[in-house]
Amino acid sequence: MGLWITLGIVVVIAVFIILMFNTLIGKKNQVNNVFGTIDALLKKRYDLLPKLITTVKEYMKHERGLLEKITELRAKAVSGNLSDDQQVALDNQVSKLLGGIMVAVENYPQLKANENFMHLQRTMNEIEEQISAARRAYNASVTDYNNAVEMFPTNIIAGMMSYRVKKVFEIPEDQRRDIDTEALFNK
Amino acid sequence: MKTLDELKRFYHQVLKPDLRVLEKKRQTVLNQIIFIGAGAFSIAVIFILIFASQVHEAVPFIFFPLIIAAVITAGLGWLITRGYRSDFKMLVIERLVKFVDEDLNYDASGKIKKSEFNASKIFHTKPNVYKGDDLVYGKVGDTQVKFSEVDAKYESGSGKNKSVKQIFKGLFFIGDFNKHFAGQTFVLPDTSEKFLGKIGQAFQEWNISRPDLVKLEDPEFEREFVVYSTDQVEARYILSTSLMKRIVDFKNKTGKKVNLSFVASQVNVAVSFTKRLFEPRLFRTLLDFEPMQEYFEDLQLAVGIVEDLNLNTRIWTKQ
Repeated sequence: MGLWITLGIVVVIAVFIILMFNTLIGKKNQVNNVFGTIDALLKKRYDLLPKLITTVKEYMKHERGLLEKITELRAKAVSGNLSDDQQVALDNQVSKLLGGIMVAVENYPQLKANENFMHLQRTMNEIEEQISAARRAYNASVTDYNNAVEMFPTNIIAGMMSYRVKKVFEIPEDQRRDIDTEALFNK
Repeated sequence: MKTLDELKRFYHQVLKPDLRVLEKKRQTVLNQIIFIGAGAFSIAVIFILIFASQVHEAVPFIFFPLIIAAVITAGLGWLITRGYRSDFKMLVIERLVKFVDEDLNYDASGKIKKSEFNASKIFHTKPNVYKGDDLVYGKVGDTQVKFSEVDAKYESGSGKNKSVKQIFKGLFFIGDFNKHFAGQTFVLPDTSEKFLGKIGQAFQEWNISRPDLVKLEDPEFEREFVVYSTDQVEARYILSTSLMKRIVDFKNKTGKKVNLSFVASQVNVAVSFTKRLFEPRLFRTLLDFEPMQEYFEDLQLAVGIVEDLNLNTRIWTKQ
């Protein structure tokens, strides 16, 4: 009788451990999965950039420096061999410069009326919105994962699997302020 | 958006002359019904009195004639009011629709189709009794919309075992969403999390009848709604931080239960109402402004969804 009770307890504990184990793996994979989506979206954006720059270049006379800077950053981004952190930093820079271009467009009525450009602008808006959605999804799944890693009882299993807390995306300090276009153009 | 002052002007300058004619009709119809009712009930009472004077013991079905009288009055009443009702819809509701937005069309007997209602997937149970009327359709700005009153029920069993489940009753709105998307996302009123907090959220995660739970960052939104989606990223693409706020504001504005679904690049909004929408009131004069204001506000609520959810902002590839 005593043996059966002990066996029962062992089975219940084993089931619990397996469940926690699987939950943790599920959460980790969810994080990787969403990071993959961000990657794909960033690539989509980098594919679009040359098109945008060619269209804009014809009209924009005063923002040459800005355009060259974007081209340069893009080249760096698509060359690969970057760490996740570097990639994020690069992506932040590109976002900032793109914001500058979209504001500068206001000074070029002809460009604003260009159908090709309008389509590109819409596509860009869409990708930016998707990237921001993917970042939010990433942060949500990281928070979910971190909670599991730090909270009892899953933290014990996480410790054994050597799972560490992951970092959420943060908006760099200079992006929290409004984009200072003046300064950008005078560069 | 039209204001209340504009409505007042419209009411006095355009509607009022026709309403006077319609009001006469309402009085005639009402008098006819009172006449029929009085007649039927008098006959029933006479029947009962004669019967009671003949038989001197308690009879179980003594009030049966009264029930027959009520049924006759209701049936004939419905027949008589039919004409008045359609005149009312044409003269009042249709013109109010045009007043709210010139580009909208109105079909008094039309409704959101049952297939469209089912395709929204907001409600699990498929109705087998499906009614509706007052279809409004057309374009509001850049956004194609349609909405109608819907009353969807599921009836099972018969006789004494008959049970009726109300699936939905109220205003059902379908609009073209301003972003492309491929998956399905559901925004439903939150019941478990509100009362049970974190434990409630765990229950939501185990809801096998819906796709994956999406945990969003807006705490006010999370308190009111629970979100399920086939795609975590897409759900956030649709539910931008501003749209979450807008949905909460819309819910607070209506004060009703609001369900939303985003399916096939469309947004479906179901707003529960207990009263019937856009119906004439027989026992009340038409010349009051107050009921007009109510019809107008119900219409504005539906048409306003476009503005409330910012559907006319077309800065993405979907034009």
